[in-house]
Amino acid sequence: MELQISNLTKKYKNTVAVDGLSFTLSTGVYGLLGANGAGKTTLMRILCTLLTPTEGQITLDGQDIFRMDGEYRKLLGYLPQDFGYYPDFTIYDYMMYIASIKGLRPAAAKKRISRLLEQVGLSTVGNRKMKKLSGGMKRRAGIAQAMLNHPEILILDEPTAGLDPNERIRFRNLISGLSSNRLVLLSTHIVSDIEYIANRILLMKDGKLQITGTSEELISSMPERVWSITVPRESVSTYMQNYPVANVKSMGKDAELRILSPRKPAENAILEMATLEDVFLYYFGERMNENDVSL
Amino acid sequence: MKMMFRYELKKVFARAGGKVALFLLLLLIGITCYFATNVTYVNEQGKTEAGPFAVSRLKAMQKEWAGYLNEETIQRVISENKKIRTSPEAMSEDVPLKDIAYSRGQGIQEIRNLLNCSYTAHFREYDYYRADSLSENDAPAFYSNRVSLLAQWLEEEADGLFSEEEKEYLIGQYSRLQTPFYYDYMKGWTQLFEYAPTIIMITMLILGYLISGIFSNEFSWKSDAIFFTSAYGRNRAIRTKLKSAFFIVTVIYWAAVLLYTLSILLYLGADGWECPVQADFSGWKCFYNITVWQKYILIVAGGYIGCLFISSLGMFVSAKTKSAVWAVMVPFVLIFIPSFLSNINSPAVSKILGLLPDQLLQAGTALNYFTLYTLGGKVWGAIPILLVIYPLLTLLIAPVTYREYRHKEIS
Repeated sequence: MELQISNLTKKYKNTVAVDGLSFTLSTGVYGLLGANGAGKTTLMRILCTLLTPTEGQITLDGQDIFRMDGEYRKLLGYLPQDFGYYPDFTIYDYMMYIASIKGLRPAAAKKRISRLLEQVGLSTVGNRKMKKLSGGMKRRAGIAQAMLNHPEILILDEPTAGLDPNERIRFRNLISGLSSNRLVLLSTHIVSDIEYIANRILLMKDGKLQITGTSEELISSMPERVWSITVPRESVSTYMQNYPVANVKSMGKDAELRILSPRKPAENAILEMATLEDVFLYYFGERMNENDVSL
Repeated sequence: MKMMFRYELKKVFARAGGKVALFLLLLLIGITCYFATNVTYVNEQGKTEAGPFAVSRLKAMQKEWAGYLNEETIQRVISENKKIRTSPEAMSEDVPLKDIAYSRGQGIQEIRNLLNCSYTAHFREYDYYRADSLSENDAPAFYSNRVSLLAQWLEEEADGLFSEEEKEYLIGQYSRLQTPFYYDYMKGWTQLFEYAPTIIMITMLILGYLISGIFSNEFSWKSDAIFFTSAYGRNRAIRTKLKSAFFIVTVIYWAAVLLYTLSILLYLGADGWECPVQADFSGWKCFYNITVWQKYILIVAGGYIGCLFISSLGMFVSAKTKSAVWAVMVPFVLIFIPSFLSNINSPAVSKILGLLPDQLLQAGTALNYFTLYTLGGKVWGAIPILLVIYPLLTLLIAPVTYREYRHKEIS
């Protein structure tokens, strides 16, 4: 299976959300990374046929996905960033309805739902109304619905957003378990999620792909080196003005800084192993953290 | 498909709003039925009675006069009326005595109303006491007055409002009424007709609310993205939405109408169903020569077509605007705006208003309007045109709504 994106562009009135993207996806887990407004959600929505591109084409094994229409969507599972549901439906009703619009026969749907609810840990609350579920439970119901039709292409837009650390780990493991033998494209605000789950990372900025590769490839491709340095607290602002600073850790009168620089920034600087977060900092030119970086 | 359909219905009725709307509909039907069946009878002592016994007494009195309203019957009615009006009780200034006199005239009350219509000086006039000044010799003119008053009105007051063909059509329709016609007790039907527009409009407003969210709620619940990425999200699932909406309109409309009809007719009786509509005071001027049961069919079929059309327009607005608020306003606009516009005294405006869908919701009233249209050299009343164009428009809107929703983009 090969999903080929060619010269894909999506323009709104005065904005270019996706700008001439060309790449190919096949079986595996892809992490889509970019700052807010980079065009990740627009790209994902085009891949889900929710939006039509202004220019360009997406083909699945040579066939245009928009012409494939329902045949393409039969292969698709999608969990949107803003997961909506029918508030007065129970989880079971919700799953049955989604199964019906995905074309599953009732008997097959019942079996599949039972198995998926077990898998996502919702089997004991199947009769609870969707509006009564916690955020984590809703997300798990969301991933379960995406998996109903055994999708060959699974698109997850920020699936871990808003989850507490326990739920996040649980969800991350769940996605890992579901990702074999299919194409999974996911974005998340949590940098570590990408490192754990994704085989390849697509770095997106201003509607364009900056770089793609594995976590290691991205790290090794970065021309900057990473240093840690302990400086008096009053010097921190000077360093922040002169270098991209990945982290500041207060240590009494001093502070420990994590700095990106091609050269040793000071005598006492210690060379550190670069991480994916450092790569984000390098490409986006700002401190990357869980609040201002989208992955 | 069945599963999809079942859950589409569940989306509508699982909501608290859906349940409240159904309860409200039942409550309003109950209240309307109460008023519609609130028929009174004045007993021999001049006391007003209500309830099933009163209905049966009134029915028995009016049944005595059931039959063809021929010259002889009209003479008998005029004579009976004169006897009652000149009785000491009627001539008395004492109200309880006057009530006793009134009680004696309840059997001929409806025919007396027809006499008031027939023997009036002008077509658009109604004189409650006109029957009291009639003599038996006036009886032969009972039916011919109806035609001559119309002809006089068309030549004098209404001159300029109708073309010659239209005038000819109206007089022709009046002349074609088979006379003498059959009269019977028909309180059940007249009460049913009086409150039918209320029931149909209430049902329409409730239906408008119920189906307003069928398309737009996917957006307000933010379930649109998953809906449209499903295999059937841009085809079968949309068709199922349309089917379920029409199913809801059909089932709820007919349930409401049948509940109302049965409540009224079981209580007041279905007698008089074969009489012409002109056999009741409210239909005396009607130019459609139909019977009471045909009028009933027109009212309920018109209401159904009207509900289908307004609902389908509401669904289109819901799909187009992604807003249930705009969709729920459609029935309100279509029902209430024409009422305001009807104050404009213009034949052209009247002709336009005569073809608006609210007319279908009050087909019983629309039957009495002299709104005529000349199409292909032939004159038509509004009702047959309405019954043709709105089913066609409904059939046209459904695929447009489908296309509109199918091509929705989720940004």
